[in-house]
Amino acid sequence: MSASPETTLLSRYQRLSDQPDEMFAANGQVRTTWQYLADALDALGVDNLRQRHTQARRLLRERGVTYNVYGDPQGQERSWDLDPIPVLIGSDEWAQVEGALQRRAELFNLILKDIYGPQELLQRGLLPAEVIYGHGGFLRPCHPYDPDLAHPLTIYAADLARTDNGRLHVVGDRTQSPSGAGYALENRVVMSRAMPSLYRESHVHRLALFFQNLRASLAALAPNRGQDEPSVVVLTPGPLNETYFEHSFLASYLGYTLVEGGDLTVRDGRVWLRSMGRLEPVDVILRRLDDDYCDALELRGDSLLGVPGLTEAARRGNVALANPLGAGVLENPALHAFLPGVAQHFLGRELDLPTLPTWWCGDPDSLDHVLAHLDELVVKPIGPGSGPATLFGSAMDASARDALAQRIRRAPHRFAAQQQARFSSVPTLGEQGLEPRAATLRTFLVGRPDGYAVMPGGLTRIAPAPGELNASNQAGGVSKDTWVVASEPVREVSLMSTEGGMDTPMDRSAALPPAATENLFWMARYAERAEHGLRLLRVIQRLQRTAQDYRDPLDQQCLQTLLMALSRVTDTRPGFLAGDPALLADPMPELRSVLRDPGRVGTVAFNLQAMLAASHAVRDRLSQDTWRVIGNIRTRLADGGDGDPGPELDDAITLLAALRGLQDDTMVHSQAWSFLELGRCIERGLLTSSLLRATMSTALDPRLESRVLEAVLSHLESVNAYRRQHHQVAQARPVLDLVLLHERNPRSVGYQLARLKAALQALNSGAHDSGLSTEERLVLEAHTALQLSDADRLTRADAASGHRPALDQLLARNGRLLDRTARRLAESYFSDPRGPRQLTAANTDLQETS
Amino acid sequence: MRYRITHRTDYSYAQPIIRGYNEARLAPRSTAVQSVHNHGVTIYPAPAYRAERVDFFGNRVLHFAMQHPHSQLTVTAVSEVELLQSSPEPQLANGMAWEQAATATRSDCSPTGLDARQYLLESPQVPLSDEALAYARGSFATGRAVTDAVANLMGRIHQDFAYDPTATTVSTPIDRVFRDQRGVCQDFAHLAIACVRSMGIAARYVSGYLETLPPPGQEKLQGADASHAWFAVYDPSLGWIDYDPTNNVVPMDQHITTAWGRDYGDISPLKGVIFGGSGGQRSHVAVDVERLTDT
Repeated sequence: MSASPETTLLSRYQRLSDQPDEMFAANGQVRTTWQYLADALDALGVDNLRQRHTQARRLLRERGVTYNVYGDPQGQERSWDLDPIPVLIGSDEWAQVEGALQRRAELFNLILKDIYGPQELLQRGLLPAEVIYGHGGFLRPCHPYDPDLAHPLTIYAADLARTDNGRLHVVGDRTQSPSGAGYALENRVVMSRAMPSLYRESHVHRLALFFQNLRASLAALAPNRGQDEPSVVVLTPGPLNETYFEHSFLASYLGYTLVEGGDLTVRDGRVWLRSMGRLEPVDVILRRLDDDYCDALELRGDSLLGVPGLTEAARRGNVALANPLGAGVLENPALHAFLPGVAQHFLGRELDLPTLPTWWCGDPDSLDHVLAHLDELVVKPIGPGSGPATLFGSAMDASARDALAQRIRRAPHRFAAQQQARFSSVPTLGEQGLEPRAATLRTFLVGRPDGYAVMPGGLTRIAPAPGELNASNQAGGVSKDTWVVASEPVREVSLMSTEGGMDTPMDRSAALPPAATENLFWMARYAERAEHGLRLLRVIQRLQRTAQDYRDPLDQQCLQTLLMALSRVTDTRPGFLAGDPALLADPMPELRSVLRDPGRVGTVAFNLQAMLAASHAVRDRLSQDTWRVIGNIRTRLADGGDGDPGPELDDAITLLAALRGLQDDTMVHSQAWSFLELGRCIERGLLTSSLLRATMSTALDPRLESRVLEAVLSHLESVNAYRRQHHQVAQARPVLDLVLLHERNPRSVGYQLARLKAALQALNSGAHDSGLSTEERLVLEAHTALQLSDADRLTRADAASGHRPALDQLLARNGRLLDRTARRLAESYFSDPRGPRQLTAANTDLQETS
Repeated sequence: MRYRITHRTDYSYAQPIIRGYNEARLAPRSTAVQSVHNHGVTIYPAPAYRAERVDFFGNRVLHFAMQHPHSQLTVTAVSEVELLQSSPEPQLANGMAWEQAATATRSDCSPTGLDARQYLLESPQVPLSDEALAYARGSFATGRAVTDAVANLMGRIHQDFAYDPTATTVSTPIDRVFRDQRGVCQDFAHLAIACVRSMGIAARYVSGYLETLPPPGQEKLQGADASHAWFAVYDPSLGWIDYDPTNNVVPMDQHITTAWGRDYGDISPLKGVIFGGSGGQRSHVAVDVERLTDT
């Protein structure tokens, strides 16, 4: 240990005087469970710890672990933040917590079955009817549940915190689609890499078993038990959702297909997954969409995210949802006020884990208490949709408290109030070394036939600053890995392996839903557009240097031709096409914009953003290495600066090439890959045709033309190939041979068409009817026209104007055919833009009849 | 008295609909004063899927799904209903004072009481409204019987608000109805419900039909009748009592009840979600309430 005792990390840690600390006992001693970690941290020192933190953050960014914050300018780009110091729980304490959580989950399951069943609790007065009927999560169309279902509450999460009296309390329940389990696993993977030896020596209980239980539970929900492998999908609201990363991570990790509402359809009272123009039955839906959004027919009529008819399919037992529709009714702070009586009724005992003292304002005595003590209470609406979720009476001035009292009095049953508590702190790496931060731990349970299985540990979230009470991710909090550590370290060694080994996804589902298809296709197209933009910019950069060095007017003319081609190919019109001499004389501002302006359609920055957004939506289908490259591109884009295009053009081109190479190399060449290939070939064919039209459809003075053609060859990475075949300056006819007609040059148009033909053939091979699909016909037409064309004829120019009519027509026609192919693919395989919408209700029938 | 009700809804679409999911609440309910002898719904074109159930409020619901392209949809419900004339008139004068009724309902854990308690609370189309509370106070004088207060409220609504089918749609909020002082039966029912609930009394929305009689000497026109809406109020000592603010009557033997719920949104006669057909849609509803000769 190099540091002297008075400068160690831990000796400088200032606990908060009025809050218990997880690492330190009241007497200032490190708790036994934490001793090993404490020594390790001191040995590591603050600089090393910061380094590990940086490494963890880099890993998280590369792995694309994000949390979307609504209204945040960074939007979906925000990376998940993980503090490098884990929270420890001894396995003895954990054993008690585990049992208590299991009983609580059982109780919540029984409450759920009762609410969507006989409602005994209401009849016996153990729960006031208003607590249920007045809660937006009580969905009448979902009543009753199938009484034979053992655990309708398949997944349950409870938020725990230690209060000032040192006891763990349950401070919140998540019952409809609890989030966080995937983040907990990501945290674990990253921690095991950032702190390998600490992790190994600490003998941490593994998380993998929880996910195996989850898989087994979901499979057991399937309506048709005869099947070996039920079809399970993960239903997400889409890439803009705050926890979208987790949806795609879980889908990929568990081997399920990730779907949006539009990917599913109900036919004959069953749920089907649209995949490659076919329908595949769905047995179980792991739901990450709020229940009222799931069905525009029976639930929220304005929802476009769900699946109309889903409620009916679930009601008839043709599909199972985890958690079932309506389970959100348990996310109800008023329940806490009645749990003791309900627990006595169902379990014959009290719950071991207490909740904070809670009052339901619908009860007149409780209302009086709440109104008299607003300054020490936290007020919560019992259900969603009545304003902010948590109101701290203590943080309000008198007039704000009066207004709140007024709101409560107006509809008391809609509010509950909880004693405000201080939660224990955990040491966290901050600006000044270790800082105490209030923490809550989200724990996860899954229902099994013999009871609930608990994830050992969970997701700890900490307050953003030492004094703050609230630990929500929406408010920009930080998370921690949570380690349940064995008291006898040696015993478990042989069972340990790194959690990093869980990286490999389980069996991948073969289904390819429309939203994913569309995103793969566009991811490839945008990548191609970005690359063409970069390459043209690079060619222009070289021409600028030459023009500067040799002061040859021909170079200047060549440069101008290429500048205009840039505006045309990237479709950043008018740009240089406006013919503004000032712009052509000083092209740098416009070139900077074409490279860096993310708000302008067609720029490199715009195309990269669009590519990132599309890849974000299919991240479950991309390999970790691919995702790492995408992470690098994102970082590069974010730190792009605003200077002139420089050597970073080369780097960016290399990254895009790496991305393409990894896709070819690490993805199974299945249908998903086919759509990347289709998008790439179509886009490359279109862009190359457009470039050739811009530079070659009019013959130039031979000396100028040869320089323009050199630039075209350079852009298309074909200079060497050309020189090997033709030992002469570039001329139109051989250039066309190489970059248009040639079928072995990966940059030529002919090559794209040949590959398109093959990809479409593979796609269509499973179709029932023989013969060519429409898109195959379109590509065949373009390909044949190219094969039949004659390079001499294409090169022939009108003597007066220099126009090359045959070439121009061929390229224009090819462009149209490729466009139509893309549109046709969209019609056949992408999301249906038509619907859903409400049938208008007929009001004309309401007439006065007196 | 026995009636045959024919309720036909026609939809036509400018462009074909690819798929549609629908729910119909067109079956009359069996109650103490009404028995249903016959009920059937025919749908053209025939749906690929249809299934019946009873909803949380006890209404019969027909779920049906159209899975093939279609440009028209016709839903025809034919029901034969008998209104029992022997029904004892509610002892309207013997009800509870409204304060007493409010207190009794709030703690009632009997099945009827629990059911009634969901109608004490605000609902999607009947949110809390200060205007409703202020308006209701004019009828709910201290110690007044529930029945008396609600009858008075009904009379005031009938008087203060103009019937105007052009003023509102199915989703007009009640604040707007208060402001404009006009609307149709559905608006008046929502308005009255908001007022009654604001006093702590349970109130629910009722949909159904009302027989209309042609002017003397004229023949009744086909399709001239209409579906109708009113409301009902819970007095723990009397049970549920219906009120029709559009016509300022307590329904007796001409109102045929189809369904009830917290508000229109719970029980619209026919609703649906459609895919495709980006063009417009038109709908037409025709209702006939025929008196059948006693057999």
